Amino acid sequence: MTVTSPGTHPPAGSAATAPALSVRGLSVAFPSEAGPVQAVREVSFDVLPGRTLGIVGESGSGKSATAMGVMGLLPETAQVSGSVLLGGRDLVGLGDRELSAVRGKDIGMVFQDPLSALTPIFSVGRQLSDALRVHQDLTRQAAWNRAVELLDLVGIAEPHRNARAFPHEFSGGMRQRVVIALAMANSPSVIVADEPTTALDVTVQAQILDVLRTAQTETGAGLVLITHDLGVVAGYADDVAVMYAGRIVEQAGAHELFARPTMPYTIGLLGAVPRPEARASGRLVPIGGEPPSLVGLPAGCSFAERCPAAVDRCHQQEPPLTAVPGHGRVACWRSHDIADGNPAAGSLFSPPEAAVEEHRPDRRGPGETVLRVAGLARTFPLTKGAFLKRRVGTLHAVSDVGFELRAGETLGLVGESGSGKTTTLLEIMRLRPPEHGLIEIAGTDVAAPRSTERTQQLRRTVQIVMQDPMGSLDPRLPVFRLLAEPLQAVGTDRDAVRVRVEELLSLVGLDASLADRFPAALSGGQRQRVAIARALATEPRIVVLDEPVSALDVSVQADVINLLTRLQHELGLAYLIVAHDLAVMRQVSDRIAVMYLGHIVESGATEDLFTHARHPYTEALLSAIPVPDPQVERSREHIVLKGEQPSASRLPRGCVFADRCPLYPLLDGGTQQRCRTERPLLRPAASGTDHRHACHAR
Amino acid sequence: MIRHLTRKAAGWLVMIVVATNVTYVLAAWFLDPRSNYRGLRPVRTEEQIDHALAPYNLDPRTPLADRWWHWFSNVLLHFDWGKSPVGASVDSEIGFRVVVSGQLVTAATLLSVVAGVALSVFTASRQYGWWDRTTQLVSVFLFNVPAAVAALAVVFAGIWLNQHLGWRLLYVAGEKSPDVSGVWPTVADRFRHLVLPTLSLTLLGYVGYHLTQRSLLLDNINSDFVRTARATGLTRAQAIRRHALRASLIPTATSVAFSIPAIFTGAVITETVFGWNGMGQYFVQTIAKNDVHGAVAVAAFGAGMTAIGAILADVAVVVLDPRVRVR
Amino acid sequence: MATTVTSLPEPLDPDTTAPGPAARAGGGRLYLRRFARNRPALFGVVLLVLLVLFSVCGGWLTHFSYTDVDFTALTQPPGGTHYFGTNQGGNDVYAEAVHGLQRSLVIAVSVSVLTIVLAAVIGAGAAYFGGRVERLTLTVIHFLLVVPSFLILALVSHHLAGDWRVLILVLTVFGWMSTARVIWSVSTSLRERDYVLAAEFMGVRPWRIILRHIIPNLGSLLIVNLTLGVVATVLSETALSFLGFGVQTPDVSLGTMLADGSGTITTAPWLFGYPAALVVLLTLSMTLVGDGLRDAFDPSSATGARGGRR
Repeated sequence: MTVTSPGTHPPAGSAATAPALSVRGLSVAFPSEAGPVQAVREVSFDVLPGRTLGIVGESGSGKSATAMGVMGLLPETAQVSGSVLLGGRDLVGLGDRELSAVRGKDIGMVFQDPLSALTPIFSVGRQLSDALRVHQDLTRQAAWNRAVELLDLVGIAEPHRNARAFPHEFSGGMRQRVVIALAMANSPSVIVADEPTTALDVTVQAQILDVLRTAQTETGAGLVLITHDLGVVAGYADDVAVMYAGRIVEQAGAHELFARPTMPYTIGLLGAVPRPEARASGRLVPIGGEPPSLVGLPAGCSFAERCPAAVDRCHQQEPPLTAVPGHGRVACWRSHDIADGNPAAGSLFSPPEAAVEEHRPDRRGPGETVLRVAGLARTFPLTKGAFLKRRVGTLHAVSDVGFELRAGETLGLVGESGSGKTTTLLEIMRLRPPEHGLIEIAGTDVAAPRSTERTQQLRRTVQIVMQDPMGSLDPRLPVFRLLAEPLQAVGTDRDAVRVRVEELLSLVGLDASLADRFPAALSGGQRQRVAIARALATEPRIVVLDEPVSALDVSVQADVINLLTRLQHELGLAYLIVAHDLAVMRQVSDRIAVMYLGHIVESGATEDLFTHARHPYTEALLSAIPVPDPQVERSREHIVLKGEQPSASRLPRGCVFADRCPLYPLLDGGTQQRCRTERPLLRPAASGTDHRHACHAR
Repeated sequence: MIRHLTRKAAGWLVMIVVATNVTYVLAAWFLDPRSNYRGLRPVRTEEQIDHALAPYNLDPRTPLADRWWHWFSNVLLHFDWGKSPVGASVDSEIGFRVVVSGQLVTAATLLSVVAGVALSVFTASRQYGWWDRTTQLVSVFLFNVPAAVAALAVVFAGIWLNQHLGWRLLYVAGEKSPDVSGVWPTVADRFRHLVLPTLSLTLLGYVGYHLTQRSLLLDNINSDFVRTARATGLTRAQAIRRHALRASLIPTATSVAFSIPAIFTGAVITETVFGWNGMGQYFVQTIAKNDVHGAVAVAAFGAGMTAIGAILADVAVVVLDPRVRVR
Repeated sequence: MATTVTSLPEPLDPDTTAPGPAARAGGGRLYLRRFARNRPALFGVVLLVLLVLFSVCGGWLTHFSYTDVDFTALTQPPGGTHYFGTNQGGNDVYAEAVHGLQRSLVIAVSVSVLTIVLAAVIGAGAAYFGGRVERLTLTVIHFLLVVPSFLILALVSHHLAGDWRVLILVLTVFGWMSTARVIWSVSTSLRERDYVLAAEFMGVRPWRIILRHIIPNLGSLLIVNLTLGVVATVLSETALSFLGFGVQTPDVSLGTMLADGSGTITTAPWLFGYPAALVVLLTLSMTLVGDGLRDAFDPSSATGARGGRR
């Protein structure tokens, strides 16, 4: 039923090594109002000691439910069948008491969100030593010493002192290190990591993946790595299982899977993900459609609805997972055809509306400046005490930020959380006089004394699309009223509103019949389209996009990116985009500004910046993005930064990046001195371009 | 940490002072001490009545501000809470009553918290089991019983018990017997009086803690850190006790302070039903007799109990929550 | 003054409601279906309807009025023409109970409606505007929560002696704080929601945002707290009247009946028993309905975050 692929990196022992974990026919269903949700269906896989199985899938594909099913941590209402064999023992059907003897001892788990995964009221050392003492007969002191060792092993500085620290004193990356230490504490034979880096910044992600590798080498455990990020899998996994609608649809060695994907879904997924190492020649190729609901799945292949290669049989009968020579195991009736190149994998999904592409080169035509920001600064008071608030410090969220945005152009603000990029957006959206500096929208200074009419005019000019469409749309209002709201706010009359709402829906490619739906009844992609339509309601010239696609699945993301590109072209919009995903940024931005601790450290034309990064932080950032191609990902050199972006409450006097800078230790004393004492200013990197960076050393 | 607590305590002290003074103004405004003299024979003129009230600082002809200042400075300087409209000293009335009511409220609060939290832990780890359902049913029922009904039901049960035992084990009226001497007999006597009122007050008080704590616990049971704890090898029940309970006690600790006024209200009714000479009963008397100073003293007592509860709650939060402690 | 729901039920779980028939039309029917599956809640509804019917139509079954005095039957046990017996003054307990229930219901429903409106506006307003407005409101709320408000209540209603309309006013004025605190704490999280921010960026005016985006999203919380507010008010009114500070003779409420009956509990238990049973049935039915509503709105919540009582 299951193979472990022959693997490019043979396992340490002989090929006959017994699997550490062997899952057979695992199914999980949750009862719901509408009927049972088939979260996981007939999933089987093996994990060999010391090897890594990557499970990839989009949200709702059942990958997390699989992990919880393996751990026996599903809610009690879940119906679980199949078997989970760990060291020859079937865990399915065991009681809580028996399972708890296994959990933490033979199988450890790393969770997605390190911020909430640790008990807030116990010190990290206490939590670690408790975890040790659950399974080992250790004295308090011995357990504590071992806990300190473990903290050292996962890279916590000053482990003796920090063992006494409480989780809230740690950053996200440090907490995730502690969670990994918890998982490996009793040398389990299997570690399950469920999206271990999703909640973390990209430079921290690289560190955590390294720690995970350490944990694996230290314990010799088999690792189940669950993620939605194809790049992480490409760099890390030996074997990959792709899940869709609760099933494994393709399973192969990492190299085979990325080089020769066979299941149309895998092919589509690889085509839809933007690549950081090169701008796609044209537009991204979306899969089209959305994943099915897991309640009352129809007969046949669950991908058939979206599959361009589907034949009649696909709609009637679900294909089993079968071996395709040279490709791994695939659940597709047409796998042999596709393996033979008929239809060819590359031509399966067609890029949409290719006609628009030819306009792309002149998109950068010099439009007029619609947004000018200069010397913008924003601080927040840090207060303590719930009742009588006392100011204990100042958070310098944004310091001296400046840029210009022209009509028809896209400027991307890039940076990790805490870099001040979102604060910059919100400062612009507030339309109030900034604390410092200048914000000019379409030639009007927002600080100038204004009338209500002028304010309304400004509001019409600049609008926003937020990250999470579920959160930015009021769940109690139907689509029509959501779209009418900005129009009413600027005083549009009732009839005009009705006409405009219909226009907007068709503009973003939504059916007019959706107007009376509530957001909960829309899919993720549809919701973000509604949010975009709402932003366009007042015919703005500038649209501010705060992580517009990061809440969406890869297969839907491509659709929305293409929509944004089309709208910009049709309406001559200026986009100011904030995103942490540099691959997406490379795809959509004309120019990019990289932010660190509230400062722009480098800016320039996108391609220029990606190919000739000057600032060491930009270099590190670019290097940290995993490339969804094992060949590239495993051969390229990674720059892994130390530590994490510090809090902006105490800015260093000199360069804000000096503490983490990989160049700094290599510099001569004089330059080091400058880095420490003098804040570098943005200066042109080369004459004749607008590529600028702020670094003393380069 | 000590500074944190001192600051909090100072805040509460201000609260008590303000609350007491506000009550004074309201009481002076709404209560009419003259009514105590109107029914008397021979009939007196309004002027005579005002004159009679003057020595007690209750003369309505004196401006309110002056009366207030007189009262306030006496409280501050001599801890003299004033006189009733017929000249009885408030201080001598409340002296023993504070002890009587204090022990009732304290005992009931402690028992309520302990019983409520213990029950919630016991039932939350058996969610939807027989025990959980039954105790929840009982608690929901008790939640809906008026204090007076509960107190009378306890009286009934007490009488029934005494009848079946054939001797008076527990008293259903009064806070002490008049003719008991010696240390141990006195303690035993007080205890036999205290049991039933405390029981009736606890029955009303524990319900809130049980139901709130249970749902806080269940919220925490589904939290990520309990899942992490289970992943390290704790059973569900162990994870609840060691990880979820302490974290979920924090909001409960804060709510203790805010529930003391409710317990005090319950105590008013309980004391009325059980015929206790406590602050609660005094409160009913003072209002019925338009005794401004007495009513204000009761308010100060109530606010004081609340503040003590609040400060203890703050201490508890500091002990429970490192996020407060570390700074 | 018990307010009980402290968490905001999420409208629908996004994971289990992929676009499909279940999620359409805002889920109103879904809530109804969940409620209807809840047996105790249905029992509560039936009980409540019976009690309301009793208070409205109960008077038709007897020719006595609660003010009538029957000198031929003093302190008579239940039976005969006096279904629930009579008291020492010869009043018909059945007629008194009908009237008292009516009085208690009217007071409780009006107070809890007024309270919830006041609390919603104050709580949501404080949370939305933040800053100084918020701090001031919270200080006032904390102060009123700490002051033995029952005592002030007694003071005021003693002075205004007995009119049940005044009692409604007084109970409202001293009863909104804990609900407002809960609404405030939930609203502070709503205030951070992206859709509120989005509305601000669209130029929607503050009170419009509060009325359109914040208060409607408190919806289920308000409804549940409304039912539980009725319970709290009944208990408050009972306590006040029991001590003689609430409804005054010749008017009758369940609280005054309890007070009258408590002295003769061993000799004439029916004087206490009937009103006591009615109070408990009334509050119990409301609690069951409230719990049922909460479970319907938020199936993941484990019944019952309750605050202080009375």
